[in-house]
Amino acid sequence: MGTYIAIRLLQFPLILGVIYVATFLLAWVAPGDPFQQTDRTLPPEVLAQLRERFHAESAWEFLTYYPWQLIQGDFGPSLIHQGWSVNQILGASLPVSITIGLFALIVAMVVGVTLGALAGVRRGGPVDWASLSVSLIGISLPGFVTAALLFAAFCVHLRWFPIGHWGSLRDVVLPGLALSLMPMAYIARLTRVSMIDTLGSDYIRTGRAKGLARNTVIWKHALRNALLPVLSYIGPAAAATLTGSFVVEKVFNLPGLGQHFVGSVLNRDQTLILGTVMVYSLFLLSLNLLVDIGYALVDPRIDVTAKGAGA
Amino acid sequence: MARLLLIPAAMLVLLIGALVWSGGGTQSRADLTFINRGEIGTLDPNRMAWMQDIRVGYCIFEGLYTLDPATLNAVPGASEPAEISADKTVYTFRIRPNARWSNGDPVTTADFVFAWKRMLQEPGDYTSLLYYIKGAREYMKAFAEWGKARSEATAKADPSAAIPAEPGFAGVGIEPLDSRTLRVTLNHPVGFFLDIIAFPCCFPLHEKSMQPFIDKDVRKATGKIVYDKRFTLPPNLLTNGAYELTSWDFKRRIRLTASQYWWNKDAVKTKSIDVVSADDYLWALTIYDTGGVDWLTDMSGELAADLLKKGRKDVHVYPGFGTYFYTFNCKEKLADGRKNPFADVRVRQAFSMAVNKQVIVDNVTRLGEPITTQYIPPYAFEKYPSPKGLGYNVERAKQLMAEAGYPGGKGFPDITLLFNSEGQHGPIAQIVRRQWQEALGVDLRLESIEINTFRQRLHNKEYAVARASWYGDYNDPSTFTDKYKSESDNNDSAWINPEYDALCAKADRERDDGERLKLFAQAEKLLLEEAPILPMYHYMNVYLYRPEQVHGMMHHSRNHQVMWPIEVKR
Repeated sequence: MGTYIAIRLLQFPLILGVIYVATFLLAWVAPGDPFQQTDRTLPPEVLAQLRERFHAESAWEFLTYYPWQLIQGDFGPSLIHQGWSVNQILGASLPVSITIGLFALIVAMVVGVTLGALAGVRRGGPVDWASLSVSLIGISLPGFVTAALLFAAFCVHLRWFPIGHWGSLRDVVLPGLALSLMPMAYIARLTRVSMIDTLGSDYIRTGRAKGLARNTVIWKHALRNALLPVLSYIGPAAAATLTGSFVVEKVFNLPGLGQHFVGSVLNRDQTLILGTVMVYSLFLLSLNLLVDIGYALVDPRIDVTAKGAGA
Repeated sequence: MARLLLIPAAMLVLLIGALVWSGGGTQSRADLTFINRGEIGTLDPNRMAWMQDIRVGYCIFEGLYTLDPATLNAVPGASEPAEISADKTVYTFRIRPNARWSNGDPVTTADFVFAWKRMLQEPGDYTSLLYYIKGAREYMKAFAEWGKARSEATAKADPSAAIPAEPGFAGVGIEPLDSRTLRVTLNHPVGFFLDIIAFPCCFPLHEKSMQPFIDKDVRKATGKIVYDKRFTLPPNLLTNGAYELTSWDFKRRIRLTASQYWWNKDAVKTKSIDVVSADDYLWALTIYDTGGVDWLTDMSGELAADLLKKGRKDVHVYPGFGTYFYTFNCKEKLADGRKNPFADVRVRQAFSMAVNKQVIVDNVTRLGEPITTQYIPPYAFEKYPSPKGLGYNVERAKQLMAEAGYPGGKGFPDITLLFNSEGQHGPIAQIVRRQWQEALGVDLRLESIEINTFRQRLHNKEYAVARASWYGDYNDPSTFTDKYKSESDNNDSAWINPEYDALCAKADRERDDGERLKLFAQAEKLLLEEAPILPMYHYMNVYLYRPEQVHGMMHHSRNHQVMWPIEVKR
């Protein structure tokens, strides 16, 4: 297992390097100029000086300068927000996104697994229908609708939650809930299907035949295996929620990573684009690795080190 | 099972940790809280260009002259009233003895010389405003050349290669006579020079506090002194205006606090200001409506029109310092090599005469914008003899099209009307397209693209006809007329007219203010007759604030607001 983790970790720089170059090339060929942000055309001498300053006189210069900075942990300066480094921007926005994302993940996992497991156990009953309804709503409703509805109901009309404030758990609840609905729905559906499959398997029947209590069979033996497919979904879901949702952040005006990512693309802020993409990629790779390790911990039969695993 | 429960428990602990890490929290509400248009781009006076940057810039910095809160005319700021020579080319400024930086240091002539010299060494968006000063442009060019030559010399393998000498500053008309007296010599009289002096490009900087931010790599490679922009963040930035920069949470809020050292601090009614960042107009309106902020500085026209319709008394709409127009590409050939019909002045005139602008302001913009045939808003400059342009005249437009070889639109090439997808440009383009179709028999295709790509296309002249706009910066018609000079980087139309250039140049040198305005009016008349642009309407500024709570607001077309006289009574 240790060797497997080491190999996977060693692959990270290579994968990140490919992502970096591909992202840079896409950002570079996109029309628009990061230094030309107003309707006034900058004088050529100003533009030349800015390009020289930011090592952006050519794609080659950019690509040979910034990766070296990155190796030293420095994403470089934002091309648009003068005075702010990409590290500072990420440092300010990542905690916001992570906070909302963690809240969303906790809600999604706890509610999703509970709903799905109950629906699987009481198949065809009212709980199953309730679970199905919640899942359908969660999967069907786009994030911006959920977020806007929550914002309008609880912030504007009822005024239960503050607007334009950040720093307490109350500020996390609504954006977190808006972000949790879709993963919660998926987790509930996955858990339900997986639970039904598991409850029909031989070892569960054997357990019951041996006289094990129903609750012990369901919650101790069945749920553990039923969660395997859920685990595989949690990796990418965590990466998506933890690295910010543009829509939710926009509705609640939260300065998270999602907003910066979209903003950086719109502004052609190449260093910030690369910074956000690299963070997102690192999250995705790390969480996928954690999921694979989690797989092995939950089910000892799974050998992630086997050929083809973990891809 | 217990182990499974550990996962959400651990996540809960992480959540609390992340929340603490993300900061924010409790800061008491400022006396005045307003939402700026967007996040600040920079607080370096050298690069301030966005309205939101300039708005905060005027709070924290003060030039030798500054803006009068009521009229926005240039009035003495850090300096006492200037002495102006009889020939109006030499200005002598005497800095107030009680002018101080936010750390208590006295403001000196060295601070202005340093900032202006830096503006020439490291040019910014508005460096050209300093070209009126004797020798400034020449120095800027010489310094740029020297930087290049020095870079080449240091890059050579030969260590004995001669390093050229840095150009001197002695030839530039910026002379500190002593620590409080600064003499500025101009190339020729400039009637609005004090307005330039009040503009952010002429704010001073505190050199000593910027020393730790010199970029050593650039220094080593080129010999130039370039500053890392972190000097503009708190607590690094020292300021000399009514307010100092206390805190800046990126994309959240900026806190400004009244400076205890400002020479006029007793006049400050608002002791603290929160500048809240919001990109979304709807969110901004919501937080305003729920009492979270006192003032919205900008609103989308659509939203403002809806609020006006509801009869809200807190929506304040007043004429702006800008014009919405369409621009024609005047080059002989289009970007794809085809013949450009708009190279013919008659076609441009015909298209200009075939637009009923009232339909646009009544149905799309709906803020009571004055429709116009002029480029420069007629109310923008006192005593400016505003010329009339081409009015709505479909019959004449048809004649002109026939004269140009396109009777009833026959034979007119396949042309695209370009606009950016943001805002109300789409609905306007649809109306204009339909009017051109009905009046001239010409059917244009509409092309909507994202703003950055749009700007690039305009700048590269990769269009035939496009939406455009222009806001003036300072209190002189040249802030508008300069755009259409032949050599101007902002001349997106590629319209070149030596007569227009000559009139602008003559106006630049004219000492008599009345004559000067007449010359600018002649230049504008020529522009309107030649029709590289199709003026539609003059912009309206929109503020949102409760007049019973917020006192001391000024509605000026230039949309600047001096903050210290504002008083909020909640």
